[in-house]
Amino acid sequence: MALLEIEGKAFEVDGDGFLSTPEIWNDEVAKLFAKYDGIEEMSDKHWVIVKYIRKNFEEKGNAPMIRSICQETGVKLREIYELFPLGPARGACRVAGLPKPDGCV
Amino acid sequence: MAELTEKNINKGLTILENFKDSKLLTNLNSCVHCGLCAESCVYYLTFKEPYFVPAKKVDLISSIYKRYFTFIGKYVPFLANTKEINDETAKEMVDLFFGACTMCGRCNLHCSIGIDIAYLVRTGRMMLAQMNLIPASIQSTVDSSIKTGNNMGITTEEFVDTIKWLEDELQDEMNDKHARIPLNDSNVNILYTLNPREPKFFPLSISAMAKIFYAAKESWTISTKMYDVTNYGFFTGNVDEATVISKRLYEEVINLDAKELILAECGHGSRAFRWEAPNYLKKEFDFDSNTSVELIAEYIKTGRIKVDKTKLKLRVTLHDPCNLVRNGGILKEQRYILDQVVSEFVEMTPHGIDNYCCGGGGGQLAMSEYNERRMKIGERKAEQIRNTNAKIVVTPCHNCVDQLMQLNSFYKLNVQIKTLAEIVADAIIID
Repeated sequence: MALLEIEGKAFEVDGDGFLSTPEIWNDEVAKLFAKYDGIEEMSDKHWVIVKYIRKNFEEKGNAPMIRSICQETGVKLREIYELFPLGPARGACRVAGLPKPDGCV
Repeated sequence: MAELTEKNINKGLTILENFKDSKLLTNLNSCVHCGLCAESCVYYLTFKEPYFVPAKKVDLISSIYKRYFTFIGKYVPFLANTKEINDETAKEMVDLFFGACTMCGRCNLHCSIGIDIAYLVRTGRMMLAQMNLIPASIQSTVDSSIKTGNNMGITTEEFVDTIKWLEDELQDEMNDKHARIPLNDSNVNILYTLNPREPKFFPLSISAMAKIFYAAKESWTISTKMYDVTNYGFFTGNVDEATVISKRLYEEVINLDAKELILAECGHGSRAFRWEAPNYLKKEFDFDSNTSVELIAEYIKTGRIKVDKTKLKLRVTLHDPCNLVRNGGILKEQRYILDQVVSEFVEMTPHGIDNYCCGGGGGQLAMSEYNERRMKIGERKAEQIRNTNAKIVVTPCHNCVDQLMQLNSFYKLNVQIKTLAEIVADAIIID
């Protein structure tokens, strides 16, 4: 457990910077986490990806497959990696307030 | 941390007691404390504290061995360098064996008398597994494998949908409705494997490999039942669980009657199956297991795929995954491939068997409690990359890819990180 401070606000996170209490997540948290990763302004495309990942997490308890993210949001695969330079897991899922997925990510 | 009981301590000690082979005893008793290993280790080079010298890890397990298995240790422990297992020792074992070693084996190479230090660290982890002290963060990855058949808990339906989606894309790209990503075909030449992070989040490498197989007109398949090349049991030290995972892959090769198993770009996964699984399962395999790196090199050498090295103009460098190179013997193949598919290739310094670990090996990527250390030891790799002035870093290991992606962002390297298959797929010429 660690404390991550972004613009004067402190969040409890794991060692990788994933939110320890996913339930406190909201749009403001998303914006701050994105900023921390160097995404100054969340574009519409950022939002549609993050909201879809969040919805999947709240309904099914895990991160969606990249196929679902692409097909449900209409954002092209390669563009997702450009929007979130840390990738769908450490980038998009972290901004969406999910816990860190298992595996090599 | 779980409570340390007398029973668990005794279980942990069986790991030292059960080894009758001379390898363990030799390694436990041979360190001459010359200190040469210090400068070989990315942890010591980063933190410059005696705590991180590899010999310190050797000393820890050796002193436990001496306390319980030598005459002097049993009866007059204070006369020798011995250590009793108590809460403090257990904490140090977890921190040093799990939290301060990527088991990259670079220290082995620099040890003046050739001690296999990484093997002793693995032995330490095996003790901790018996003592019920595996960090929960890495254990959850193993649990997911055991429970769901893959380390990210992907359902079969999700997996099949993803492969079908990629197959559609492949057909579009090849402009051929017969281009396939075959699932569960039996009696094929090759059973191919994947790292679950590919279908879950990074499928470009699956598309790339499918394109290579298409160009080579290969007879191949992926199993929906067992496609996961990883084996985190190799990292946790729980040999029973590592055996279960290996056995599933072994049985699927037999079940589908494939002639050869091709291990995806995954350092530890290929090492765990190719070199450890026959020992886990105590049998000789009657099929070949090779890595996709060797396969692609063979395709190019024999002309089964044609590539154009002039397509890519950007400068490319290569990161050598420890488990594939220093601990796997695959050194020349990836260099031969890059020589054929890129116009400008530059080596890092040092490289090959003397290469530095990316910092994410040994299961570090899964243990977020050691994240701060992991990013710090990665700075050396980041600087190596920066010094090449390359725009693309290729590495044949998905675990290294993830660590390098983070280093890229953290140290602002402004490079692209790619697998070998991705860079080859971009260079392919289809007749």
